[in-house]
Amino acid sequence: MEPIVIENLSKKYGKLLALDDLSLVVERGVCVGYLGPNGAGKTTTIKVLTNLLRATSGKAYLNGVDVIHHPKAALDGVGAVVETPEFYPQLTPNECLLYIGTIRGMSADMIAERSQAVLQQVKLLDVAERRTGTFSKGMKQRLAIAQALMHQPSILILDEPTAGLDPRGMVEVREIIKGLIKTDITILMSSHLLYEVQEVCDKVAIIDRGVLLTYDSVKNLSVGQDVTVTINTLEPITPSEFKAIKALKDVKSVKRTQTLTLKVSFGSGPQTQFRVLRGIMNTGVKVVSYMPQRAAIEDIYLQLVPEGEA
Amino acid sequence: MAPSSIRQIATVTKYELLKYLRGRRLLAIVVLTIIISAIFLIVPPAIGSAYTKDPREFIVNMLSFLSILAILSATFFGADAIVSEYESKTGYFLFPNPIRKTAIFLGKFIASVLVSVGAIGLYYAIAVVSVLVIDGSIPTNTGLSFIYSLVYLFAILAIAYLFSAIMRSSVYSLVLTFFTFFLILPIVDAVGSIAKFKPWFSVTFASGISQYIFQSPYPTDKVFNATAFGGPNAGESMFSLVQYYPEIRLSFIVMAAYFVVAFLLAILIARRREM
Repeated sequence: MEPIVIENLSKKYGKLLALDDLSLVVERGVCVGYLGPNGAGKTTTIKVLTNLLRATSGKAYLNGVDVIHHPKAALDGVGAVVETPEFYPQLTPNECLLYIGTIRGMSADMIAERSQAVLQQVKLLDVAERRTGTFSKGMKQRLAIAQALMHQPSILILDEPTAGLDPRGMVEVREIIKGLIKTDITILMSSHLLYEVQEVCDKVAIIDRGVLLTYDSVKNLSVGQDVTVTINTLEPITPSEFKAIKALKDVKSVKRTQTLTLKVSFGSGPQTQFRVLRGIMNTGVKVVSYMPQRAAIEDIYLQLVPEGEA
Repeated sequence: MAPSSIRQIATVTKYELLKYLRGRRLLAIVVLTIIISAIFLIVPPAIGSAYTKDPREFIVNMLSFLSILAILSATFFGADAIVSEYESKTGYFLFPNPIRKTAIFLGKFIASVLVSVGAIGLYYAIAVVSVLVIDGSIPTNTGLSFIYSLVYLFAILAIAYLFSAIMRSSVYSLVLTFFTFFLILPIVDAVGSIAKFKPWFSVTFASGISQYIFQSPYPTDKVFNATAFGGPNAGESMFSLVQYYPEIRLSFIVMAAYFVVAFLLAILIARRREM
């Protein structure tokens, strides 16, 4: 059985159906980005998987163990960061990790070794003996990631892991996740940041109103989606250059947004992109820079999730 | 692989105790215990009064704040033990681990019992040492009094945990716990005296055995007639009150029953509570 298996999972809060017959399988060694608007059911799914909520119906398995009926066994190889956890203000990071390590049956030597390693990884080693009551939100988020990695889990479940972090912290967490992906770890990560998901994850699952809308690899989702690039030029583009770009084989639309800026849309795929960009250069336009305007995932997301939902 | 639940319970207990030791509540209870004891020891000689020669009377006086101390212990160490994990979101740190919620509950409860028994034990220890020094002997039934006070403590601690498992707010749980035992139930007990029904079912009424046990013979229910002071009916009986005394065996059973029922209900509710 795959590491994370969700079968026909439903969760009701009174009359509100937060999860509606959700089924999802996360394969071994894959990082899945779990996307959706606020209230879509992402955190509800994660909370059911981590024994914080009871499912109304359906099943959920972690490493083949039913988490709903046998949560202790199911969570054995799982590290999780759910929402932004708070820590007991009287305890230091080392004590928090010692607490979790002891609950998980790690030896004292292993706890000491791993505490050092994970605190270094999340850049909290210099405050390892400071009480967490004095920590900022970002520091608590880092400590949350550290405690999830403490026991070298085979499954990592992350609920918006970069929430509350400054830009450098967000980059560092993404680098940590990218490093973990190279190992055999299986990751389910919810996020609002589409570019983050596209950069880090192998597959994307989009959920809205408790229903899974799509679940596919980032590569497959990108296929068939138009790419739009913003091109900045050194000099204003002449009408003939504009016409030449528009006439290029794969170009679907060209818009002049400012005197020195063009937006060019064309079909996705590296070959197509290479041909278009080579064609633009061959027109003689003095290109200063070009930037993809929108990620393919963002296009898919906006198509699937109705307007008005944040 | 996660260890047995018993070892996990011990781990939770250890860290709860660590939190208590580093927090203010335990310090407050210990300081209060010492201050109350000191007042009973210092004030009489300070105002020129001698201590009573009767050791039983001495120790009953010294232990007169026992009930309040137990209530404060239950409030400080039980009333928000469960609800705080949800309200302060520390549950997101603790719960998604391979540990049963029952184990977390039991670990916390044991820690609460240990610190509360420690506070009550300190109070008794000061009283016993004082009566030994001042009157030269320890009254009989001091041990029984201590046991009865512990049974009362366990009962109200279990009820505090029940409130904590149910309530959504730490503040409401703390307030409900304190006022239930400090005000509401004592009012019920007092009403019984006027309305002439014995509140044998009340845990606060039952707790009285820890003090009355020192009286020999053990007191029995008494009727008091209130007479008119003056006016046309001077000297006539206006109304009567009954001073009820808890029966020892029944009260022990009542307190034990409160403990068992509240404890089991609290576990069941805490286990099913969602984050």
